[in-house]
Amino acid sequence: MECVVQGIIETQHVEALEILLQGLCGVHRKSLKIHELCLKSGPNLGTSPSEVRLLCDLEHSEPAWTVRHVGGAMRGAGADQISVNVRTMVESKVSSNVLRLFYALGYKLDHEQLRVGFSFNFRRGAQMTVTVSSVNKMLRLHATDEAVPITPGIQLVEVTAPATTENYSEVAAAMSSFCEYLAPLLHLSKPGVSTGVVPTAAAAAASLMSDGGGTTL
Amino acid sequence: MPVKWVLHWQPNAGTSVNSQILTEVSQCAESINGVKGGRWKATLNFYRPMLKDQVNPAEFPRDFLGISLQEQPSKYYFVIRGQRIVLEADSNIQNIMEKLQSYKSRVALNFEGFQYQLGDFQLRVGKVVPLHSESLRGIVMEIDYLPISSWEKSHQIMSEFYDIWQEALQKRSLPGHFARMEPNFGDYGLGDQYTLPHTAVQYASIMLQMIATAQSVRN
Repeated sequence: MECVVQGIIETQHVEALEILLQGLCGVHRKSLKIHELCLKSGPNLGTSPSEVRLLCDLEHSEPAWTVRHVGGAMRGAGADQISVNVRTMVESKVSSNVLRLFYALGYKLDHEQLRVGFSFNFRRGAQMTVTVSSVNKMLRLHATDEAVPITPGIQLVEVTAPATTENYSEVAAAMSSFCEYLAPLLHLSKPGVSTGVVPTAAAAAASLMSDGGGTTL
Repeated sequence: MPVKWVLHWQPNAGTSVNSQILTEVSQCAESINGVKGGRWKATLNFYRPMLKDQVNPAEFPRDFLGISLQEQPSKYYFVIRGQRIVLEADSNIQNIMEKLQSYKSRVALNFEGFQYQLGDFQLRVGKVVPLHSESLRGIVMEIDYLPISSWEKSHQIMSEFYDIWQEALQKRSLPGHFARMEPNFGDYGLGDQYTLPHTAVQYASIMLQMIATAQSVRN
């Protein structure tokens, strides 16, 4: 299970965001380059369609693969009162022939993308990861060297935190509290609830860039 | 990781496996000075596709297995023998398969028994039983040669030990023998250095033989 929020930021303000995050998180950033393949079950397989994501971490010399299954978000009155999405998420590290296995099982490639950026993993009331990345599409199948941004000039920011059925409320609260620090630069909300860029972003970014994060926003 | 051979009991035509044979095999291990050690266990799941009505099942693999091995309880191994695929994953890949609901484990088998130490060799003798049942479906053996991890380099000494073992067993006049399959590991993308995926592939190969044997006994 995990809590998650997303938002967007103009690429020109990413450097300022990084300065802010560096100050807030107190850890070093990690570079990120992930080839994400979204597979869906073929028409005859399963009583209902299923989807699975294969993530190939290209940041190191030896690519590392993960299989991820994301479930639907929690619904109902309780969910409406929380400002983050709470959803099931299971991940498993796998060996590199995982795509071949899923093809053999009857899964098809629905789409693929390349995420390039950075992330911070830290603890602030809960263990959290902030990922800032451009989302790119491949011009040819699997050609990660020939990827172009899907939305030029805009990058995706995602904050995730692992949670359990017992503690998701506390995790959600910690996440909401952390997101308030980012509010001058970007607005984070439940995935699928788009709020666009924030009007204060330019001024906030300028302030951060001028004194390297010493200013309290 | 030491090289391992996985063997399965091949009953003579017209006979089937029984617990007396298992007892005799275990006693044979002790009679050649095998020092009995702790228990061991492996689990194998047969996965079947969940298909909509009137769909031709031949489109989907019939030999999709999942295996968990004692040496690495945090890992799980998938094998699709027909396509020569072996995948190593974290054990919670089973949770992902459950959530996908596209394949379900229809039959689960436990391989369990005792280990025996014989100098540089480690033997495991195990019964094959369905989960939550004591009905004996087969007998397996594992032979590890601890000093060597190269499949090629270990072949001669493993063959010599295998011959000694068969000879010791023959004196008990049992209605069958231990057979082995030697899969082409290269087809699975596996190298000469022995790994747990090699073990998973050997188990997948002997399952094919065990199923064929069971079917011929029924016929």
